[in-house]
Amino acid sequence: MNNMEAQQKASAFDVMNGTESQGAINRSWRKGDLFLRGLALILTLSGAIVLGVNKQTKLVPVKILDSLPALNVPAEAKWHYLSAFVYFVVTNAIACSYAALSMLLSLSGKKGFVPIIMIIDLLMVALLFSSNGASTAIGVMGYEGNSHVRWNKVCDVFDKFCNQTAVAVALSLLGSTVFLLLVVLAALHLNKNSK
Amino acid sequence: MAENNKPRDPETAPILPSGGDYFGVHFILRLFLVALAVTSLVVMVTAKETKLVPVPTMPNFRVRAKAKFTDTPAFIYLVATMSVTALYGIITAVVSLGLNSKPGSATKALLYFVFWDVLLLGIVAAATGASGGVGYVGLKGNSHARWGKICDNFGKYCRHFGASIALSLVASIVLVILIMLSACTIHRRIPK
Repeated sequence: MNNMEAQQKASAFDVMNGTESQGAINRSWRKGDLFLRGLALILTLSGAIVLGVNKQTKLVPVKILDSLPALNVPAEAKWHYLSAFVYFVVTNAIACSYAALSMLLSLSGKKGFVPIIMIIDLLMVALLFSSNGASTAIGVMGYEGNSHVRWNKVCDVFDKFCNQTAVAVALSLLGSTVFLLLVVLAALHLNKNSK
Repeated sequence: MAENNKPRDPETAPILPSGGDYFGVHFILRLFLVALAVTSLVVMVTAKETKLVPVPTMPNFRVRAKAKFTDTPAFIYLVATMSVTALYGIITAVVSLGLNSKPGSATKALLYFVFWDVLLLGIVAAATGASGGVGYVGLKGNSHARWGKICDNFGKYCRHFGASIALSLVASIVLVILIMLSACTIHRRIPK
């Protein structure tokens, strides 16, 4: 910014140089923006897929009567049994399709889209963070259980299911951080262009 | 870059009408944020209920059960987040009031507002989501994981944390509006 102010006082030739460097900044910003959007697309898509294919069937010993030996009953854990996970998959799918759409919009290079894209990025940050919070809270409940309300832990039985959920949440958390970075970078870019 | 040579006083620049910083609106919205956070905090902390509940193995036998917000880690997270939000809201309200009195050349302050607001938005949204997820299981239960619902027993407790979650949802919406306001103010300063 100081650089810009110095150029402001300089001759017309220098001012033209300043225009060129501004264009270079714009180009590099657009490249970085596209790269981050691609990254967000991949991360949220993989988060949605990893949780969306999450399924585990296990034989659980159930004792009906004390005198009889324990009966092995197959128990199934699927991702859509918990509403927090449904929310997670839906928001990740929305974020992933929006990332693809916004890539197209920013490739089109129209200036009018910039504030709209930033506002929707912001909404994506809120959506993704809330779904991550919900899934993490339910996941922690699965790992730890809650003795106060007699919710038993389920991860000692469904170990693969829980680990896959943790991976999906971690991926989506990275994706939402990328969206957060996108908003911050857009604000920085606006700030560079203003004044 | 030619536009850079023009005078850029808020009174004279055509792209900047006087009072274009909206720090007064910032101040009001941030006070609203503080009010929301404090209300949510108080409602959640006062969510305490003691009741006689039947023991599942012995239907005729009842025990005294206590429900507090500290029973669930997600609610503790919400309380911590709301405390942070209230403190942040007070600080930024004072800052925006100070910036309101001297107009112009406050784009950098708006930029800092965007940074910290987005970060806080992430935290508040995550806390709302976490509490909402756990609260929903408490309301409806989950037959697959054999997590029984608790809201049929602890009605007052459930109403309290439901209200607290709703308030924190409104707080995150206020944060979104604040970030949009800052971003639009910066955007309007770009010379055409």
